[in-house]
Amino acid sequence: MHTGHYISGAGHLVLLGWLAFGDVFAAEPLPFEMTEVAVISGAEYAALLAANVPPQSVTDVAQPSSPEITPDAPEVEVAPDTETELRQPEAAETPQTETPPDVSQITPPPPRADVSDEAPVLPQPPADIAVDAPDIADVAVPQAADRVAPEAVAQPDPEALPDPVEQDAVAQDDTGSEQQEPADATAPEAAATEIVTEAEKPATTMTTSLRPPARPQAPPAPQPAAAPAPEAPAAQDAPRDALADAIAEASSAPATPSGPPLSSGEKEALRVAVSNCWNVGSLSTDALGTTVVVTVSMTQDGRPVNSSIRMASSSGGNDTAARQAFEAARRAIIRCGARGFDLPAEKYGQWQEIEMTFNPERMRVK
Amino acid sequence: MRVLVNLLFGLLIAITGPVTVVMAQGNGPLRIEITEGVIEPLPFALPVFEAENAEAGALSAQISQVIAADLSGTGLFRQISPDAFISTVSSFAAPVQYADWKAINAQALITGAASVQGNQLNVKFRLYDVFSGAELGSGLQFSGTPDGWRRIAHKVADAVYSRITGEGGYFDSRVVYVAETGPKDARQKRLAVMDYDGANVQYLTGNDDIVLAPRFSPDGRRVLYTSYETGFPRIYVLDIASVQRRSLESQEGTMSFAPRFAPDGDRIVFSLSQGGNTDIYAMSLAGGQAVRLTSSPSIETAPSFSPDGSQIVFESDRSGSQQLYIMPATGGEARRISFGPGRYGTPVWSPRGDLVAFTKQNSGRFHIGVMRTDGSEERLLTASFLDEGPTWAPNGRVIMFTRETQGASGRSSLYSVDITGRNLRPVNTPEGGSDPSWSPLQE
Repeated sequence: MHTGHYISGAGHLVLLGWLAFGDVFAAEPLPFEMTEVAVISGAEYAALLAANVPPQSVTDVAQPSSPEITPDAPEVEVAPDTETELRQPEAAETPQTETPPDVSQITPPPPRADVSDEAPVLPQPPADIAVDAPDIADVAVPQAADRVAPEAVAQPDPEALPDPVEQDAVAQDDTGSEQQEPADATAPEAAATEIVTEAEKPATTMTTSLRPPARPQAPPAPQPAAAPAPEAPAAQDAPRDALADAIAEASSAPATPSGPPLSSGEKEALRVAVSNCWNVGSLSTDALGTTVVVTVSMTQDGRPVNSSIRMASSSGGNDTAARQAFEAARRAIIRCGARGFDLPAEKYGQWQEIEMTFNPERMRVK
Repeated sequence: MRVLVNLLFGLLIAITGPVTVVMAQGNGPLRIEITEGVIEPLPFALPVFEAENAEAGALSAQISQVIAADLSGTGLFRQISPDAFISTVSSFAAPVQYADWKAINAQALITGAASVQGNQLNVKFRLYDVFSGAELGSGLQFSGTPDGWRRIAHKVADAVYSRITGEGGYFDSRVVYVAETGPKDARQKRLAVMDYDGANVQYLTGNDDIVLAPRFSPDGRRVLYTSYETGFPRIYVLDIASVQRRSLESQEGTMSFAPRFAPDGDRIVFSLSQGGNTDIYAMSLAGGQAVRLTSSPSIETAPSFSPDGSQIVFESDRSGSQQLYIMPATGGEARRISFGPGRYGTPVWSPRGDLVAFTKQNSGRFHIGVMRTDGSEERLLTASFLDEGPTWAPNGRVIMFTRETQGASGRSSLYSVDITGRNLRPVNTPEGGSDPSWSPLQE
């Protein structure tokens, strides 16, 4: 009767012993990477630090230089910076003369306090431009005093340049990738997205202007090799008129768009480019209440065919107002399209015909 | 496992990819919506008008200057300095070199010519949309006497303004106002009329009596005003051409003031104070009994007709504070349209009928503002120690008003402002001025 128990117990003991000491669960050592570490002396380490630290400080200076600030607040933001920079050199000069009274005279105007005081004033703008205000406040505060403008501003550019190249490659595979952020070109000085009357103007005028992004200079448009071919025979017969060529080219093109669709970033760039030239300052109040839909044919180098600009429809105003609104829209397309819009040549089929809706609702005078 | 994931991912791509392309191809033209633009003056180029004969030599330059000043003064246009011009317009008939004007960002180009034949001045002009490479409208010619060259220049500017903005013009108009000289405690006032830009000032009354609140008739030929000539305020009608005037009938022991024409020019509305109560009355200029339009024990004054003559906006303190009300032109129940903080007064109905301009006093400051006739979309355009007495330009786009500075040496002067609140600027007058009233466009 107990024999079975003894046999079972002995068997289990053997099994447990084999599991415990028999390397049954011993896994193969996980692979890991080994790096050789060179032991250096304290003097060598100090020498390395001495060699490396200065470049780091340079990059630190360069990083906060966000050019986006300049179009937003060209008038107000720059002025305090220059004041602080002017006063600090004075403080540096006075120790050289070793005259203690001068140092004490400098202390009353604290430059950083001025900057921090102005920041809370910013959220004043009305709801229409509430999106822009936080951007100004967030960026302006950390940059207040210590900027050394002449140094190392050029560094961010090479980092930004590779973006379009990578985007082109990615765009063919899939959609949704973030395209290049619109670069910052200076907006017209008098430009504004809202009207601040004398009654509404705050005591410390911190005006907000258009959205910072603007279209960069259009690069020389890459011309596909196959594109000029259909143009040539028509140009031989007709007079050498660039406009006629463009119309012929537009009419011979396929009606349905082809090629990969434009990304949201590319559409946004086009929208911003046209917006920068859409001047509604001289429109009547009726025209400011009129939305017009304008169609335009484009040449392959991104220029609008002026004669193809048509008003497809209008709403919200009478014929006179619609005509004024259309003329302002047409001027915007022609002016900013004169150098060619920044559109991807390989997607020409998508933007060969463009329908633009000019809706002045946000610009309306109330 | 990884192989399985790759297979599934590839299958997903294979299924959704063609769908995406098909959707893109089926969308037609690329569509974008633009909702934000810029607000800036439209740059224009105005080469000096060609003088087609020697007599027109000086006038052509002066006319060009007045046109440029009119357009630039609106704040909607900006003149490009002639120093920046690349090409010159040697002849009115010469073709326009659009590229040269595009290069200096001129969006509008105005060319013209003037000639004098006997006692007649002829001025013709053309307006071009430079970036469209086409003429805006067709050429126009105006004729008049050489003495009236300023009016001709204003008419050219009106035509240009209307073609570009779509609004009616207002440059060929006049303003009647109270010219003020001397210190505050001994100020002399007299009626004066001038061009809208302060030129050609003519005085209509002497310095002897205090005059107030002149108002143009709808045809611009007569002026209503209040005078203290008899020691009590009385209403007079003055013919500008002949400077003849007559007083309107009034009852003994009453004071009548704040008159204003009805749109038909035959009737007027005014305030009449009797026994400590002030109400609004209407009467015919041809004579007859005044008709009482309000009967509240409070003070009702400053009536102003709507352009169609069917309603009257006025100020009243019937609610305990000075507010704006609208009632039928024949009297009756009034509805309050102002509800903001502060006191509202001197309402004036826009010639376009869509807005009411007013004076607002709040927190020790005075404002000129506008609101819709239902009281919505109130917008204050100015703020100062004392702003009051708005009057509308004929096109309903610009407001002129009185601004007085603080202190014993404070001076009243005229200002104008766009209804957007932009382009606030003083009006040039030889001396101080107050109580402006804008005429309609001259015929």
